[in-house]
Amino acid sequence: MRYPPAAVINLDHNATTPLHPRVRAAMIEVLERTDLGNPSSTHGLGRACREVVEGARRRVAAAVDAPALGVTFTSGGTEADNLALLGGAEALRKAGKAYGVATSRIEHPAIVAAAEALEARGVPVVWIPVEPDGHVTPDAVADVLRTHDEVGLVSVAAANHELGNVQPIAAIVEAVRAVRDGVLVHTDAVQALGKVPVRFGAWGVDLLSVSSHKVYGPTGIGALIHPTHLTLAPRSFGGAQERGRRVGTENWMAAHGFGVACSLLDESLQQLEALTPLRDRLAEHVRAAGGRVHGAPALANTLNFAFEGAPGELMCMSLDLEGIAASTGSACSAGSLEPSKVLLGLGQTPEQASEAVRISMGRSTTEADVARLIDVLPIIVSRVRKAHAQGSSAS
Amino acid sequence: MSGGVDSSATASLLLDAGHEVIGMTMRLYDASEDERKGRGGTCCSPAEVDLARRVCAQIGIPHYVVDERERFRREVIDPFARDYAAGLTPNPCTRCNQHIKFQPLLQRAAALGAEAMATGHYARNLYGEALLRGVDPRKDQSYFLFSMGREALRQVWFPLGTWNKDDVRAYAEGKGLPNWKAPDSQELCFVPGGNHGDVVQRRAREMGLSTDTLQPGEVVDTDGNVVGDHDGIHRVTVGQRRGFRTRTPERRYVLKVIPQSRQVVVGDVSDTQTSRIEVGELQRLELGASGEVRCTVQVRHKSKPAPATVRWDGDTARVDFDAPIRSASPGQAAVFYGEDDRVLGGGWISRVEDRANGPLETPKKD
Repeated sequence: MRYPPAAVINLDHNATTPLHPRVRAAMIEVLERTDLGNPSSTHGLGRACREVVEGARRRVAAAVDAPALGVTFTSGGTEADNLALLGGAEALRKAGKAYGVATSRIEHPAIVAAAEALEARGVPVVWIPVEPDGHVTPDAVADVLRTHDEVGLVSVAAANHELGNVQPIAAIVEAVRAVRDGVLVHTDAVQALGKVPVRFGAWGVDLLSVSSHKVYGPTGIGALIHPTHLTLAPRSFGGAQERGRRVGTENWMAAHGFGVACSLLDESLQQLEALTPLRDRLAEHVRAAGGRVHGAPALANTLNFAFEGAPGELMCMSLDLEGIAASTGSACSAGSLEPSKVLLGLGQTPEQASEAVRISMGRSTTEADVARLIDVLPIIVSRVRKAHAQGSSAS
Repeated sequence: MSGGVDSSATASLLLDAGHEVIGMTMRLYDASEDERKGRGGTCCSPAEVDLARRVCAQIGIPHYVVDERERFRREVIDPFARDYAAGLTPNPCTRCNQHIKFQPLLQRAAALGAEAMATGHYARNLYGEALLRGVDPRKDQSYFLFSMGREALRQVWFPLGTWNKDDVRAYAEGKGLPNWKAPDSQELCFVPGGNHGDVVQRRAREMGLSTDTLQPGEVVDTDGNVVGDHDGIHRVTVGQRRGFRTRTPERRYVLKVIPQSRQVVVGDVSDTQTSRIEVGELQRLELGASGEVRCTVQVRHKSKPAPATVRWDGDTARVDFDAPIRSASPGQAAVFYGEDDRVLGGGWISRVEDRANGPLETPKKD
């Protein structure tokens, strides 16, 4: 075998997506322009660049059913999540309102770690219980709010990054409003965008995070969506960019790419639907081979599964050597042996949670790619199981 | 792959020979204080992990980083802290080879379908049947490898066993490997700067060990007279002259540590000599269940092998040296070498017969 293999089968699109050719072309076009300055400048160069940024803002807003001025660009999903929690809780506190945070243990680390950081500073944090299949029910959220007057901000992801299950965000918002007014509801829609319709307005949330490189746009840009006039305490200080919510010179070239990627979302939604039978075929194969499927998959592109006695780390290395890119879960926790926090959050044992393998398909995934995975899987599973069993008995 | 020149050259040599090669690096501990302050890293530190990654990218092989921090803490750092706090002299490198380097990586190698595992150690493996010294006498690492076990020996290759370090560096330079002139690591990887006392103190506190023994105490001579003081028994090492103060200018060596009274017994160089040691946890690479053999015995990495008679039964042995040797310390490894530089076996020094410790009883069967 030659390494790297001639063609890698990318089954890790939830980690990042390759640039869409039309995004790349659009970015090259603005990169080659010589009439663009600092978007904050009053001169012509500044105005021209400002229009690039505002054009991108309009495209992102249109893609998520939000007002254009409700789009605050950030460096990505993590910063958007951090700004929502830290900036939201701080703004509530300053307004003299309840500022505690309620979220779940299966959220992305950008949420869980931000909540823990708030907790360390004395902000009350309540962990919402999660169903064994990975769902957060509107009733569970309402219960938390009824029993915790101190909660002023709720955060539940629209689609889970590891499991791919979709949460009933509109129903959760309704349940929150039924308990009391004035609670900020945030949803991390980073994994949902481009895979299911994301509707800021229709869902009724106050805050919503999205990221460019999960939707075939460039890395280094994301956005926090909010009502036009929402007050957020800033996390960085300096100029007045992004209406003071996120200061620093705008990353206009990436913003432009993100905007174009957002204008292509309808196309990727359609392409993704075609992946459902492939996902189901893989799930069927995993079950038939004695594996287990985690969560109740809803995103057409994502399948999280495990084979007992086969650590996910070794499965993913073995797949890599076969030229197949897969993940043990969130790439943010890769390189460490820590079992999936999402699966631990669902009540799995540490051993079970370290067996997870996440497959996430994308617009270029073919039937042949999945067939290849299904071909090599049994060989890899049996080799990894055998080696792992011997290692366990020896130590 | 530690990120050093030896394992990097090993990977490249195997590739030259036509093998399909996978690089693997263990993360063993978090960045130390020193490293965060920019004073450089040692083996398997995050900076060295990056270097291993870079070498693999350059020579075109896959590279994986595996997290063994938990196991390293449990099997190496904690026993290290416990031993020093109990007045023993631990040998963490051999512990690492016994518990960390081979089994966990061999298991992963098998899972990935690899036929063998190779490391950059300077030792020779004779067809999986015998462990021999490396041919470069300055670099020979067989002393640290006696504990790897027969099972691992059958599956591990040491391509550098027949190489001199200078030739390895020249080869690495020729290949353009970025670490070809990186200095050899001399200190313990998790104790950069060489101050092991602070590491022991911190870890002992985290482990909830009694820190009574880590307080300052008296330095006494072999007759029990107080001759100086020290900052904690974990800061001294038997056979060494560091970590304590005496009122007289003579060179004093640590002979013994008495944890109960926090006393450190010192003497002059002749007092550090011993003719007889007891060895436990015996690894009988080439030895039967019990017996007696004439061989040479090495009690430190760099010490001269000394002719001796070894009598062993099960997992304990007694070593009678032909002539007294220096600086054998409880907790250190004693490795037995036979003809042709073969490692016959070895174990951990449990007791030493010298002026400070008194005689070992004569063994039953003699």
